[in-house]
Amino acid sequence: MDALYNFVLIYMVYFSVAVFLVGTTLRLVKIFRTPKQATSLQIYPEKRAKWLGAIYDTFLFPSARKHKPVLWVFLILFHACLLLLIIGHLELFEEFKIFQLIPHEVFLGNGFLGLIFCITLLYFLFRRLLSPVRELSVPEDYYILILLFLIAIFGSQMDWARSWYGYEEMVVGDYRTYLLSLLTLKPEVPYNVLIAGHSFMLVVHVFFANLFLIFFPFSQSMHSFLSLPMNKLRRG
Amino acid sequence: MDQNTRNDLLQLFRGKLNSAMTYYLETCTRCGICTEACHVYASTGQVKHISVYRHEIVRRIHKKYFKARGKIWPSVGEAKELNETALEELYESAYSCTGCRRCMVYCPFGIDTQMIMSIAKLLLIGAHSEPEILTMLADTSIEKGKSLDLFKESFMEGIKKLEKDVVKKWKMEAGETAIPMDVEGADLLFVALAGAHSIIPTAAVFNAAGEHWTLSFFEAVNFGAFVGDPTRTQLILDRILNEAKRLKVKEVCICECGTAFRVMKQLAADQPFKVSSITEVHARYIKSGRIKLDPSKFNGPVTYHDPCQIARNAGVFDEPRYILEHLTNDFREMSPEPKYNWCCGGGGGLVALGEETLDFRMKSARVKADQIKATGATTVVTACENCHTQLNSLNEHYNLGTTVKFLSSMVADALIQ
Repeated sequence: MDALYNFVLIYMVYFSVAVFLVGTTLRLVKIFRTPKQATSLQIYPEKRAKWLGAIYDTFLFPSARKHKPVLWVFLILFHACLLLLIIGHLELFEEFKIFQLIPHEVFLGNGFLGLIFCITLLYFLFRRLLSPVRELSVPEDYYILILLFLIAIFGSQMDWARSWYGYEEMVVGDYRTYLLSLLTLKPEVPYNVLIAGHSFMLVVHVFFANLFLIFFPFSQSMHSFLSLPMNKLRRG
Repeated sequence: MDQNTRNDLLQLFRGKLNSAMTYYLETCTRCGICTEACHVYASTGQVKHISVYRHEIVRRIHKKYFKARGKIWPSVGEAKELNETALEELYESAYSCTGCRRCMVYCPFGIDTQMIMSIAKLLLIGAHSEPEILTMLADTSIEKGKSLDLFKESFMEGIKKLEKDVVKKWKMEAGETAIPMDVEGADLLFVALAGAHSIIPTAAVFNAAGEHWTLSFFEAVNFGAFVGDPTRTQLILDRILNEAKRLKVKEVCICECGTAFRVMKQLAADQPFKVSSITEVHARYIKSGRIKLDPSKFNGPVTYHDPCQIARNAGVFDEPRYILEHLTNDFREMSPEPKYNWCCGGGGGLVALGEETLDFRMKSARVKADQIKATGATTVVTACENCHTQLNSLNEHYNLGTTVKFLSSMVADALIQ
């Protein structure tokens, strides 16, 4: 069992992070180095603040709000939760003063971020099962959503165990030891993590997160980086 | 399809992969926000006409041949082989899309379906499966550019015969030429369509405004753009660019042809002359008092159909409305707003394909007919030849009871001498 834990929590993590970083960088370099579009792809009427407009389009999805308001609510919640969950994970490495401008306990959200995140993913998933989005979807759309849901549900359960049910095993200090050991290339899985009753949840959470990171550079998740330049093209 | 043909086609595909195209092919999350954007889907309810469905036909080939996972794990993205069946799908997708780019307004990323369809059209050309008539028309235009001297005299004679009709609309001083041609140093080169209806009213307005203008030897329409062939598009355009440079004009004015205007505006951005649509020029004349119009010439409610390539895709929204303010007291805007105006259903070469596409064009533009009907207008005005033809057909097919008019003709008919 220890070997399996070590494989998922150490070797696979290094591999998936490497694929994510190298893959994403190479893909972005390749995409940005392709010849530029020679003619304008702008849509009119023209608005003056083009960059500001593109940022607005990228982060607040006004077209989704106008045409699919319910989907927009879930999109905003999903992306806001995702951002806060990323911050939460960064705080598991160490406390950042900038994030503590609004004082809070680590991990962020007292369990509710994960809950909302899971609900939004279920909405996206079930929405895909209905026509006409069903006919438009391809397997990777389901794969990514299911993967994210599994990551979120197992990750959240650990959070819920601590936040809602007072579990005192696998606390923030244990994660910090584990994550810093990975970062300093002296990997170690703390004893507390290995013996805890629900430690398998961490292993499953990290396993699916690894799969997601490996798939990320080759998937439509790259829209995280490409949405802004695309919206700029539309703004002119 | 043999391997050599496939390789040649993939080479054409590769040639289209610039940064914008790569963004469009890599990014779509198939969220379905564009579902209601396409007039064909809105009119027929067929999923294959949703914008993202069209993209996917091209995107699946992209995944298969240009992405590693198309080889390692093709099923996850439904990567698809480029074969005869794929070509049929590409044809159906490309030639049911009018390139109106309404879906681009809906898409949260701003994916340009027309641009993705340009890959489909290019692959069809490579496989000799494009609509032959469009290629033939494009080649005729190119040939005309190569042998101007052969037809110059007969063309000028034909134009001379139109002059009396121009004078009927606007009387001129003795000795003045109603349709000047080949005038070096003219301020404005007018590029018309092949047809008296495109030349006579506009010539009258130019003369009324005292414009120092000259008529181009070439027709504005660019069949190369309809068929999606960048080489032919450029060759057809070059005829006009060379003529404008030879005559040293300050402005090239494109007649009421949406595609011709957008192509010229886009591809002639760095030329030593300005590019305008005839609508912009007419609005300018009214603003500066160079022409005066009589609004009592037209009765009944009037609405305006924004040609997609002139409005949403080239920014001419205010000028036609400004002109109409001077032509009618009962202008009725289509709902919801000009940016979201439905395409007439005739763009992308569909009208040029004539009877072959008529049934599809009528069925696919039901929402446009409904949009017109809702205004209660008895006159529908537009500023594009394709739209005019299509709106006339819709008028007949759906018994709209309207008259379809060119904006430039209305301006000419309302001139106050």
